[in-house]
Amino acid sequence: MESRNKHGWRLLATTLRDQRRGLVLGVVIGLVWSAAKVAIPSLYRLGIDRGIEKNGSLLLWTLLIVAAGAIVGLFTAVRRWLAFRESRWTETRLREHLFAHVQALDIGYHDRMQTGQLMSRASSDLGQIQGFVVMIPLTISNVAMVLAVMVILLVSQPMLAIIALAPLPFINVLAKRFSNTIHPAVLAVQAEQAELANVVEESVSGVRVVKGFGAEATQMAKLTKEADDIRGVSLGAAKIRSKFLPGIDLLPSLGLIAVLGYGGHLVIDGQMTVGELVAFNTYLVMLIWPLRTIGMTVAFGQRAAAALIRVDEVLSTEPLVADPFEPRSLPTRVAGVPSGALHFSAVDFAYANGQQVLDHFDLDVPAGQSLAIVGATGSGKSTVARMLLRFYDTNAGTITLDGVEIRDLRLRDLRRAVAVVFEDTLLFNDSVAANIAFADPSVDHPQVEAAARLAGAHDFIVDLPDGYDTVLGERGYSLSGGQRQRIAIARAIVADPRVLVLDDATSAVDPSKEHEIREAMATVMHGRTTLVIAHRPATIALADRVALLDEGRVVAVGTHDELLRTNTRYAEVLAAQEADHMSLGVGE
Amino acid sequence: MWGGGAVADEDRVRRDEARSLLVRTLHMAAPFKRTIRAALTCVVAVTLCTLAGPVLVRWGIDNGIRVGDGMRLNVAVAAYVVVIVLGYVFGRLQYVYINRAGENFLRLLRIKVFAQMQRQSMSFYDREKAGVLVARMTADIETMAEIVQWGLLQFVSAGLLLVLALVVLTVLSWQLTLIALLTMPVIFVASIKFQRDSNKAYLAVRERVGANLGALQESITGVRVIQAYAREEEQIRRFRESNRALYDSHMKGVRVSTWYFGLVEFAGVLASALIVGVGGWLVHRGTVSLGTVVAFVLLLASLFDPVQQLSQLYNTMQSAGAALKKLYGILDAEPEIDERIGAVDLPPIGDLEVARVSFSYAASTQPVLRDVSIRVAHGTKLALVGPTGAGKSTLAKLMARLYDPTHGSVTFGGVDLRDATMGSLRERIVVVPQEGFLFNGTIRDNLRVARVDATDAEIDEALRTLGVLDRFMELPDGLDTEVRERGSRLSAGERQLVSLARAALVDPAVLVLDEATSNLDPGTEQVVEAALEVLMRGRTVIVVAHRLTTVQRADAIAVVANAEVVEHGTHAELLAQAGQYARLAAAWNASQPMRG
Repeated sequence: MESRNKHGWRLLATTLRDQRRGLVLGVVIGLVWSAAKVAIPSLYRLGIDRGIEKNGSLLLWTLLIVAAGAIVGLFTAVRRWLAFRESRWTETRLREHLFAHVQALDIGYHDRMQTGQLMSRASSDLGQIQGFVVMIPLTISNVAMVLAVMVILLVSQPMLAIIALAPLPFINVLAKRFSNTIHPAVLAVQAEQAELANVVEESVSGVRVVKGFGAEATQMAKLTKEADDIRGVSLGAAKIRSKFLPGIDLLPSLGLIAVLGYGGHLVIDGQMTVGELVAFNTYLVMLIWPLRTIGMTVAFGQRAAAALIRVDEVLSTEPLVADPFEPRSLPTRVAGVPSGALHFSAVDFAYANGQQVLDHFDLDVPAGQSLAIVGATGSGKSTVARMLLRFYDTNAGTITLDGVEIRDLRLRDLRRAVAVVFEDTLLFNDSVAANIAFADPSVDHPQVEAAARLAGAHDFIVDLPDGYDTVLGERGYSLSGGQRQRIAIARAIVADPRVLVLDDATSAVDPSKEHEIREAMATVMHGRTTLVIAHRPATIALADRVALLDEGRVVAVGTHDELLRTNTRYAEVLAAQEADHMSLGVGE
Repeated sequence: MWGGGAVADEDRVRRDEARSLLVRTLHMAAPFKRTIRAALTCVVAVTLCTLAGPVLVRWGIDNGIRVGDGMRLNVAVAAYVVVIVLGYVFGRLQYVYINRAGENFLRLLRIKVFAQMQRQSMSFYDREKAGVLVARMTADIETMAEIVQWGLLQFVSAGLLLVLALVVLTVLSWQLTLIALLTMPVIFVASIKFQRDSNKAYLAVRERVGANLGALQESITGVRVIQAYAREEEQIRRFRESNRALYDSHMKGVRVSTWYFGLVEFAGVLASALIVGVGGWLVHRGTVSLGTVVAFVLLLASLFDPVQQLSQLYNTMQSAGAALKKLYGILDAEPEIDERIGAVDLPPIGDLEVARVSFSYAASTQPVLRDVSIRVAHGTKLALVGPTGAGKSTLAKLMARLYDPTHGSVTFGGVDLRDATMGSLRERIVVVPQEGFLFNGTIRDNLRVARVDATDAEIDEALRTLGVLDRFMELPDGLDTEVRERGSRLSAGERQLVSLARAALVDPAVLVLDEATSNLDPGTEQVVEAALEVLMRGRTVIVVAHRLTTVQRADAIAVVANAEVVEHGTHAELLAQAGQYARLAAAWNASQPMRG
């Protein structure tokens, strides 16, 4: 814990080092602000004592106060501006750093991590770090001000200063204690609110069940419980506030009373002027906010430290799959000569949970040929595509592409040479054209359209509200499963890969269109190696040959008809898949 | 950052609306009148105590210190002590009472709004997006919570402090009060401008935060595709763009607040300078006492802080008003399907008859069903087939009164469903949705959704009848196993089994099934099929069918196309007709290339 803490702070120190000019400037400005701020009550005192009581120049003192006020006003603004600029900049840069790192981390890592966790690293954790950084220059000038005020008070009236200041450190202590006590209470309120949101969410999404069974009363009871819980924890938080906040308000008044009582007698005894008394009062009031914020900064710092540890954890995770030290390159493609020869040799692979998926897996696909991989659910067929992309590295054995071992290739080169159309199609929140040009944003519109035509997507795209400019994705226009898949196929076509992998790319396409797509696929597959991960019998027809995968290894290779005749296991697997897909298949 | 949320222009509460919102809110808060009164008393007391301090200081200076009377000074000190102790006590009570009233109000609001949402019929849920409804119950009510926790307290105490400070200062010296107020117009105008600009800036930041989080989430969930296409650099470049845009809009917001805070700070000092200058001159002329000038310098903060606070609170109040407006909108929505006065129970068994039914969803004028009539005799099975969007699911929903027909009627055993009690309707006719939808809680809880009063034995029995009790008992905690979020702990097949068991628990006369289109693994598929077989036995069944096997098992088939029942008969009859059904069956066969 101690060393992780150190790593977290080191991350912050490294980040802040690049911003030292802005931060130092912020501190300097803050110190000037403190000086002007501290001068003001003294000017009040001098104004009252010399200007009013001793008939001095009122105008002079008034103007001096105005001047100090102008400086304080200006520097309040600049100080704030600099503090936020630097802290937001820290947050911004750390977020970019985090983003780039997460994008480079291997898929095994992403399998383990939930999206929500990574999101909260990049949002709420960075927010807490920002909240702390913004306090740094502010706190430094506040501390300077507190010290200056204390010195002034001690020099002018030591005894009175000690009495008046005595209660003030407790403000700091209480503020820190309050911040630490209220934090878990606030979290508890948020947690209860989240639970209530869950009940509402499930009641709304599951409204058909609720209505169907007349279960309104059940859901109502659940909600009432959550509403009661929220009230309970909120009142708990209120109790904490009631315990601390009036106390924090009360403490400075004790100092003020001391000033009035003890200071008043000093004035009566002629040891102090009325102006000094007023100044004393004003100074004490001035200390209240800085002392509170210093206490809060400490509490913020503790939270920021925890956030820094979590962020550092992500940033210090090394990707398990990375570029080789001495990368080789693929042999150049020659027009008219097919490329993309694949060779899997004795490949073993197990996922992190220990489940052995590929076990001595051998497979040869000559350049330009197409091969369907058939196997029961869980036989490892989808894993083959992931190994080829180096989403995971093999535990043993080698995979070569056009004679080069894929581990010797730059990840970028490898992945440019292999395009996968995944089973679940993910489209990005961008235009149709940009989604198709995903692999290569530099391609021009005719190429995008050509790819869309090949994939059988052009016709429905031109019917979309904005044609190729229609924005898709979660916050955009939603397409049917079949349409999405055709966009994904077009995306793979634009990539112009040596090896095309179709992870049952036609599963969501409606049967009447499947025929068209199969024709388009034949054109696309020409001249490159194609692997078809077949979850459905219909897809097998796309490939020249079939490999039957069973328990992580290839048990038979041949044409569909050959296997059907010679291999009983093949017939079984097909029958099971067929039973899965006894769909009437009307409409999409 | 600037206290409180922000409101989009279209959500702003107009003055006349604010009035009615306030009246309605007060009416709703009536049960907590006494707590609210106690809270207000405390807030007033605390504010008075805050103000009393400087007044006592002034009295002590003028009547004690300056005339050399130590006794009177001691009286002032003693009074000050009493005042701060009282302030402390009332301060604690004020938090307790305000929060008690506020949280009780919020609890009531949550329950009322949710109860009203629950009363609404399906058409309401078709109209309203799920996310929006959840936001009403969470974000909108939490905006109110902010008001409750500190906003209201600040509003009252700042307002009171401002008024009392003005009164006290005027009594002390009206001349100096006028001087102090000289800078007020500047602060006032600046506050209005600030609050408008910061509102705008806040909305911009919120939008950017949303866009940035969206980009982030997309790149994390899409990391497989991104890496597969070696697109990392492009994604990083794009994210940087969105991230920098967020930074810029943050800084825009800071700029708005920066000059404001600077100006307010300056205005405060300027006012004090004027007091010292003009006050000093007045002291020389003997118009005011020195103590008065001192009290003014000390009290000025009580004048300036509230103005600042109130201007910042304005936004919070606006967003709370906007939230309340939306919440009251839900409370005012009358449900379309409700139990009629004098409703009767449905008979235990009977035929289900759809007579000349037309239906269109409120949102569109295009009818989904046109003049449909169909009769399902007790204990028979009807399969509904047809293209997506042709109206077969809607027809099924009308048969369970999830909607009421626009024209015509649906009757069970001769009783119009609209005349039936909701209780008896849900006991006779049960809808089993396509995907087994599970709620948070245990498996047992999920079955009880169907019947709250079911005993454990009855739940066991329902599962046993379907032949799946053992399967669930094998789970680590048996039927008390938590299904986790959306039943993620269970397989898709097991979720469907729970859904079927719910229906078995109700033991209805009519089952309305929406057949799943998604595929299960073959093992589970058989178990689900078997359970379904048991469940259907002896009941009237309406099934929205996607599979040929299901259709073939039905007693009758209705083909719904273009909002009408175009064919109705048995599998063999319809094949012989060589119509739409025959074509559907042929299309299905053609899509199975491996069969030949």
